[in-house]
Amino acid sequence: MTVLVIAEHDGALLKSATLNTISAAAKLGGDIHVLVAGAGCGAAAAAAAQVAGVAKVLLADAAHYQDQGAENLAALVLAQAGAYTHLLLPATSFGKNIAPRVAAKLDVAQISDIVSVEAADTFVRPIYAGNALATVKSSDGVKVITVRSTAFEAAGQGGSAPVEAIAAGPDLGLSRLVGRELTKSARPELAAAKIVVSGGRGMGSAENYSKFLDPIADKLNAALGASRAAVDAGYAPNDYQVGQTGKIVAPQLYLAIGISGAIQHLAGMKDAKVIVAINKDPDAPIFQVADYGLIGDLFQLVPQLTAELG
Amino acid sequence: MSDYIAPLQDIRFALNELAGLARIAELPGCEEATPEMVDAILDEAAKISAGVLAPINKSGDAEGCKLEPGFHVRTPAGCKEAYRQFIEGGWNGLNFPQEFGGQGLPKLVATPVMEMAMAANLGLSLCSLLTGGAIEALLRYGTDAQKQTYLPNMIAGTWSGTMNLTEPQAGSDLSLIRSRAQPEGEHHRIYGQKIFITHGEHDMVDNIIHLVLARTPDAPEGVKGISLFVVPKFLVNADGSLGRRNDVRCVSLEHKLGIHTSPTAVLAYGDEEGAIGYLVGAENRGLEYMFVMMNEARFAVGLQGVAIADRAYQHAVAYAKERIQGKDLANPAGKSVSIIHHPDIRRMLMSMRALTESTRAVAYVTGAAIDRAHGEPDPAAREAARAFADFMIPIHKGWATEAGVEVANLGIQVHGGMGFVEETGAAQYLRDARITTIYEGTTGIQANDLIGRKTAREGGKTAKAIIAQMQGLLEQLAAAPGGDMQAIRSALAEAVAAFESCVDWIVANFRSDTLAVHAGAVPFLKLAGIVCGGWQMARAALIAQQQLAAGGADAAFCSAKIATTRFYADTFLAQAAGLRHTVMCTGAGAMALTEQQF
Amino acid sequence: MRVLVAVKRVVDYNVKVRVKADGTGVDLANVKMSMNPFDEIACEEAVRLKEAGVATEVVAVSCGVTACQETLRSAMALGADRGILVESEAELQPLAVAKLLQAVVNKEAPQLVLLGKQAIDDDSNQVGQMLASLMGWPQATFASKVVIAGDKASVTREIDGGLETLELKLPAVVTSDLRLNEPRYAALPSIMKAKKKPLAVIKPSDLGVDVSPRLSTLKVAEPPKRSAGVRVPDVKQLVDKLRNEAKVLP
Repeated sequence: MTVLVIAEHDGALLKSATLNTISAAAKLGGDIHVLVAGAGCGAAAAAAAQVAGVAKVLLADAAHYQDQGAENLAALVLAQAGAYTHLLLPATSFGKNIAPRVAAKLDVAQISDIVSVEAADTFVRPIYAGNALATVKSSDGVKVITVRSTAFEAAGQGGSAPVEAIAAGPDLGLSRLVGRELTKSARPELAAAKIVVSGGRGMGSAENYSKFLDPIADKLNAALGASRAAVDAGYAPNDYQVGQTGKIVAPQLYLAIGISGAIQHLAGMKDAKVIVAINKDPDAPIFQVADYGLIGDLFQLVPQLTAELG
Repeated sequence: MSDYIAPLQDIRFALNELAGLARIAELPGCEEATPEMVDAILDEAAKISAGVLAPINKSGDAEGCKLEPGFHVRTPAGCKEAYRQFIEGGWNGLNFPQEFGGQGLPKLVATPVMEMAMAANLGLSLCSLLTGGAIEALLRYGTDAQKQTYLPNMIAGTWSGTMNLTEPQAGSDLSLIRSRAQPEGEHHRIYGQKIFITHGEHDMVDNIIHLVLARTPDAPEGVKGISLFVVPKFLVNADGSLGRRNDVRCVSLEHKLGIHTSPTAVLAYGDEEGAIGYLVGAENRGLEYMFVMMNEARFAVGLQGVAIADRAYQHAVAYAKERIQGKDLANPAGKSVSIIHHPDIRRMLMSMRALTESTRAVAYVTGAAIDRAHGEPDPAAREAARAFADFMIPIHKGWATEAGVEVANLGIQVHGGMGFVEETGAAQYLRDARITTIYEGTTGIQANDLIGRKTAREGGKTAKAIIAQMQGLLEQLAAAPGGDMQAIRSALAEAVAAFESCVDWIVANFRSDTLAVHAGAVPFLKLAGIVCGGWQMARAALIAQQQLAAGGADAAFCSAKIATTRFYADTFLAQAAGLRHTVMCTGAGAMALTEQQF
Repeated sequence: MRVLVAVKRVVDYNVKVRVKADGTGVDLANVKMSMNPFDEIACEEAVRLKEAGVATEVVAVSCGVTACQETLRSAMALGADRGILVESEAELQPLAVAKLLQAVVNKEAPQLVLLGKQAIDDDSNQVGQMLASLMGWPQATFASKVVIAGDKASVTREIDGGLETLELKLPAVVTSDLRLNEPRYAALPSIMKAKKKPLAVIKPSDLGVDVSPRLSTLKVAEPPKRSAGVRVPDVKQLVDKLRNEAKVLP
């Protein structure tokens, strides 16, 4: 049994979700290979080689992987698939984009968003916005899986796997990247941050969102998040959204500020180790999941808290 | 905190099982109202009610309407947009003729759609309600030219309508109306002041079509000298475009206890050259026309009682499930529990639920009768339906609105101190509900109509026919298995007996002891409401039991229906015997004091 | 240009689903069903393309039980011109649905297939990508903006960390994210007209597709519940608790 993990990376470094995916692969037993595909991504391959538990790194370096388009990457993965029993990708916008394409061509089911490995063919995955957990068993020869990163620890360092260059697949030329607008931030990645500071509709405006949350996030070296209501109201960018249809996070500490706690939002953060809620409405559902609740005006409490963290 | 979620399951049950939607869909012209079509309509009406109308209910209440310079009325933020979305969806014209742009669906289909809109936002829904009344008046009594001029825009909702009856000195007694209509060529000039004009002036539409009661110069005194006029805010040119502003203006808005989203205007007609009005129908027959309209309006206001009760109930249930307070009596050593565990909270919630479901059942059954009174091909069936609807309308209007107030009041009680605080929203329902027992004829007026025109005048004929139907149901109940059904049967049997003896007493004493009979009118209306509600709930329970036995039905829904009916029997039907005493005996005390002793 | 929209009938998003006591699944008896919200967004986008004169016909497709006809009627009330139901009483997993859609696409030859990024019942997020793969077409998942120009589609996608814009050669598959548009409320006249629009019913066997499931569900369980913690009176005590009790702050 050999497992292939398809790495998400930025050319130089592995994205943290790749490390969680490698941990999930380790639970399967068997050798773990990591495929790093990109253009000029040797550094990322080298980084993958140093991850504990990785037996081999496959490096496909070609210009047409620069944009990480699903069509070309899926074709490349397919060409490698014959040697593996399991293909694992992180359940991120990168992995979700590619995995089903591969599975369909292999004529196998794809298993989405697993949170636990029960056996080599049996996995647990959330359904109905996390309101139920299904244990599913695959009857297919190859298992194509996406992994919910928050459910697995990040794999550590200490490996020294060989890096093997492989031939690139064809450039299908089906789509072209026109541009990317990435939210610039010196803060940690939302999905992997140890501390997340999240603001809701209670922030009242985009100005308040940054005026009150930036200082506390800076102090805690936290990622910033937001509820769907806050994103819809334009207080925070789209990719800040925490929830079933946004990012799933499971930090050590989640600060929910001015968030009422719609089910949709709770589904995205209820696996946080410690949840703190600050809200003026004592009946807000967020208090039903918060470990520590502070009732009051966030515009007074948040600056106090920032100062107290001093 | 809780949002409005339309009670579609109970609505469908009342429509299909109690009101007999299938029969209505067989009536000529109602063929489109197939079950699948109605399902799709209800789903979407539920969505737009919850998604568009409900979210501005609380903010509109807090903000209210403002009279601005230039006699302009500004509605609360979001009303204009929400109303636009509602009319652009074609909902305003649901039960009006296709010939003028409506969808031609039966009243019974309009009934739940109206209920949902009212529950979502009572104040805003009033605009369409009043427009609907004005549309009906023009449809029945307007000339072809008047219909062509006004109806397409009114049915589309881009123009709204009003009903101008009340004047400062003429409230429940419209014979005192003083507004004048001076003939001038093809039209009249209208002069006078009208008060309590719902949506009399506002910014959600392009034109407002006022229907106004006024006296022509040589008209006889009293109710036989009142004519009906259509007075547009903007005159309409021959090509249908809007012409100049008519001489009617909003001089004041009332400061009210509730329905703050709905501007209640004082309208001044003819402060300058006289407002141009056009006679509708024949001269001096205005009040008669208005009474026909009023039956429809009374039906709609009764529905407001159902709607507000449902909204208040939903709100209270959500709070009772959330609010943690006190220990479970069954487990005093355990953790604190949500208040829905406490028996008195249960009793209140069940009272709210039972009143909501029973008033809804009566409303829908009455709505179906209105359709059948229009559409049954057989004249005898049509006449029977008409008599039934006429009898039921004052009961439905009076009882459902009183129940709406009671339910909203209980809703506050469930919230405890938090209910008295505006922030939770429970208080708004009571404030909004409070008008419903007053406008379109107070409960007292409904009760007088019920004992007089609807009962005594025809010697109790329709009442007896209904009692016969109730007795038929009692036989069916006797054959139904289980302790619940027998408890329901016995409570209903006693209540029907009480009702019947009151009918006999009213018929026998209406002329001979008219003060005593009128003193007992409202208690009689309440008794009639409770008995009719119990009748429909018992039918529902029987059907639920049959569905359970047949399998495949929603067991939780069916068992809840039976339990709610059982609760209704023990709590409300049980009041019938006491009410019988009150109906027959309250007059003695009520009329005992001299005026000076008060 | 013909646009195909795939719509799924799912438990209404307002319904709080309950796991069955025997662990075989969630209780769906007498639960309100609606169109998958993401599919509704896809349908709205297709109708807007038609209203903008870009699409000439919008065809809604659903795969599943007979009652999916209601979902197709909803799509037609939003503006789809006709509906196709691939009727099957059997459980249809994403791969099977993708194959059924592939067969329909081969017949209908649309230039664009729009569908939701995921269904809110199984949360798989697969069908669009699988269909694109089976057809050998390009895809743009998680779309927040779609512009069609000639034989190309320019699609802005919501990705981790921001947005990206792709240019796809048509025909292509696009899956909708939340912010692609806000679906309209169906107008009453449209609901009534929808009943008269054509709706074809076919069987998986008519399309020669094997729909047998590949995953078997062994168990469905409730997730562990998180219970309410404590209320703290002020910021000082909060920080103290976070430092000394929860030990999540240094």
